[in-house]
Amino acid sequence: MILLKKTFILLVVQLVALTCCNINAQVTASEAAYLQTDRTAYIAGESVFYKLYVLDAITKKRSEISKVAYVLLRAANSNPFLKIRVKIDSCTASGSFELPDTLASGVYQIVAFTMAMKNFGEQRFFHKEIVISNRFDKDLDFKLMNSNSIDSNKNKLHNIGCEIKTNKTVYGLREKVVVSMGKTNSKANVSVSVFEDPKILSTDKSIVETLNGLLVAQPDKHAINKYLPENNGKILRGRVIDATTQKNISAATVLLSCTDTIPNLQYASTNSNGLFQILLSDYYNGKELFLTIKDMPANQHWKIEIEDEFALSEKWSPSLIFDNGNSNGFIVKSQNIVYINKSYQLNNDLIDKPISENKSICPQLYHCSVSTVLPSDFVPLNDFPEIAVELLPLVRINKENGKYNAHVIIGSPVVSNNNHPAIFLDGVYVDDINKIIGLGSEQIKKIDMLNTERIFGDLVFQGVISIISKSNEIVNTTPASYSLRLKNDIINTGGNFVAVNPNSIQNKDIPFFKQLLYWNPNLELNGTNSTNFEFYTSDNTAKFIIKVEGISEDGTPISASSSIQVNNQINVTDK
Amino acid sequence: MKHYLYFSFLLICISINAQTNASTKVSEVDTIFSPKLTGETFIEKKGYKGEQFFYKDWAESDILLSTGEMVYGEKLKYNGLLDEVIWANTSINQQFKLDKLYVSEFWLKNAPSAIIHFKRINVGEPTGVHRSDIFVEIGVEGKVSLYIQRKISIVGEENIYLNGTQYILESIGAMPLYYIKLPSNRYLMISKIRRKALLKLFPEQKKAIIKLMRANHLDFKSEGDFIKVIDLLNKEVF
Repeated sequence: MILLKKTFILLVVQLVALTCCNINAQVTASEAAYLQTDRTAYIAGESVFYKLYVLDAITKKRSEISKVAYVLLRAANSNPFLKIRVKIDSCTASGSFELPDTLASGVYQIVAFTMAMKNFGEQRFFHKEIVISNRFDKDLDFKLMNSNSIDSNKNKLHNIGCEIKTNKTVYGLREKVVVSMGKTNSKANVSVSVFEDPKILSTDKSIVETLNGLLVAQPDKHAINKYLPENNGKILRGRVIDATTQKNISAATVLLSCTDTIPNLQYASTNSNGLFQILLSDYYNGKELFLTIKDMPANQHWKIEIEDEFALSEKWSPSLIFDNGNSNGFIVKSQNIVYINKSYQLNNDLIDKPISENKSICPQLYHCSVSTVLPSDFVPLNDFPEIAVELLPLVRINKENGKYNAHVIIGSPVVSNNNHPAIFLDGVYVDDINKIIGLGSEQIKKIDMLNTERIFGDLVFQGVISIISKSNEIVNTTPASYSLRLKNDIINTGGNFVAVNPNSIQNKDIPFFKQLLYWNPNLELNGTNSTNFEFYTSDNTAKFIIKVEGISEDGTPISASSSIQVNNQINVTDK
Repeated sequence: MKHYLYFSFLLICISINAQTNASTKVSEVDTIFSPKLTGETFIEKKGYKGEQFFYKDWAESDILLSTGEMVYGEKLKYNGLLDEVIWANTSINQQFKLDKLYVSEFWLKNAPSAIIHFKRINVGEPTGVHRSDIFVEIGVEGKVSLYIQRKISIVGEENIYLNGTQYILESIGAMPLYYIKLPSNRYLMISKIRRKALLKLFPEQKKAIIKLMRANHLDFKSEGDFIKVIDLLNKEVF
């Protein structure tokens, strides 16, 4: 009986421990995002500088899980019109994007998220409202956020985790400003913005408020395990369905390749829901992707559908009211500054980021020597069957019932029942041999051949025929009904902000008006001493906000703000 | 008593369920999207007397690919006769010879002694004309490195008469080759472990080597001694 009691207690302890493990495992991918922008009010056509933080929603420390995040911009009750994918490095990403200069004046929403956050529903996404005015909008009768939904304390200056000190509070035109950031608990990485106070009530939240306001969200029951965390790159998700019945097709093999000088391949099998997922490394950035279904059964009407990673289930319907006119002065001033800067071609806030070395890996079909035939070395031949007869003794092209078939005579033992070779054109897996039949010596630059039974992962091919055309013929082919072609986006980096020293401008008559005086997405605070940074005021007399957001190494969120006044010194002296 | 038994059973069931669910999703992702191995069908050539594999059983192995990517937990064998890595694809139940240029290093993990680490090196052939890639076991790596090619060669023939027909069986056996990589990145090959051959390779360090061997009681007759000497050379001479 005592032994039984002991066993019972042991089991209880074990259960508690395992339950904790289970909770930990579930929250592994529980992330939260915070995005700081350089300002909260813009003129259409200007650049938005951003810094994105991806944090663990539970511990509030840096998340090391997701390496990809998505940022989109949308207007009320409409679909996103600006979508960017960013690469996360050490839990942060920074860059800029340009606002289309045709945007109508109004309030817009920025949404930022990672795929792992999708498992917790869209309420976990980061949302932020910004005001965008069109440069040519003179009526300015657009709606702003309802002031009832704005916390009146929101725009008050605060210091959490760090203190901001300036050498003065009032500065003259084109004067140097030195800002000192106080000590922090530990080393920290912060983003700093110095911008003109827009005098528009804002819903902008600090990183501290965002993290404190996080709901202890449970994973969406319908979404749990649905979205894998993207810890190595973007994951392309799609479905294979029957185009007639709309039923999901399981166990279909989806092949992915893209144009290159070497045949390349990736594949995935669909699960019981018809879902497939393929990891897209940097190799695929900006490339056209060719997807097809391997060994497509005859008389079936399957098709591939790709999920839009930016798709949101709900449209944004904010509570907006007509502005009482307080913001008009600021917006008119902003429009004029942009107008003047454009006239004098002074839009030199941006410089391109240095292009980092591309370490992308091509998923090659083979890594061995091949036999190569250059048709240009021989008498011109009209089409591929002729080339096969004359130049490729190990390739047989047959025509049965009006359809062509290709076979490679294998010189080594064969085990598999599959007797199809892998045929590639310009690096892309060919879904229909008829696409190469018409290619003759005029079009073909090179043919690589392998006459062994080849393996690629779990896929077996009876030899390989890889054709490289002279003018990228694959682009001119039409995809089969079960194939799909789509353009993969490029990772957004945008340009860096450049703070101009007005004293370096030789012609003092050129106007120098800036509403953004300083933006540094990556200011490192060493934790032991204060950190200084400096910038210059412009000819713009106004109140400027110094806003600092970030996170320390020990996971403490840092949120601080201060302000300075820029006056015309002559007037000050006169007074 | 009954209640305790009932609750214990219940708790065991819950515990098992908790263990099953406690999956780490991040590692799952790495497994799902691990790089695909490439190669060609392999059918073992029979008719040899002796073992053509360095270790006859399939070993759970990790592979470092030439792309820098890792593949974990695949079943491998090293064929010393062909100098090729053979992979058992358990999903389709077939054996494949991996593309040599795709494999940079591999670790046979459940081999009898310990983890055996192989890597691909590019060396000049004994004829001195061509260079080729070979797989070698890492003995010691340092300023001076020792690599062992686990070569299996035909060592003789055996004639067997059956029903008046003569059958020839080729005898195969281990004929390891030792490659010493010098600080100049040059490779020197020794086929037999001899003290003289080693001293000839390092004429300037001859005295130091002899001293080292004496001090550590190494008679330099076994492979183990060879490895120890090179290791000591790295630590105390170079």
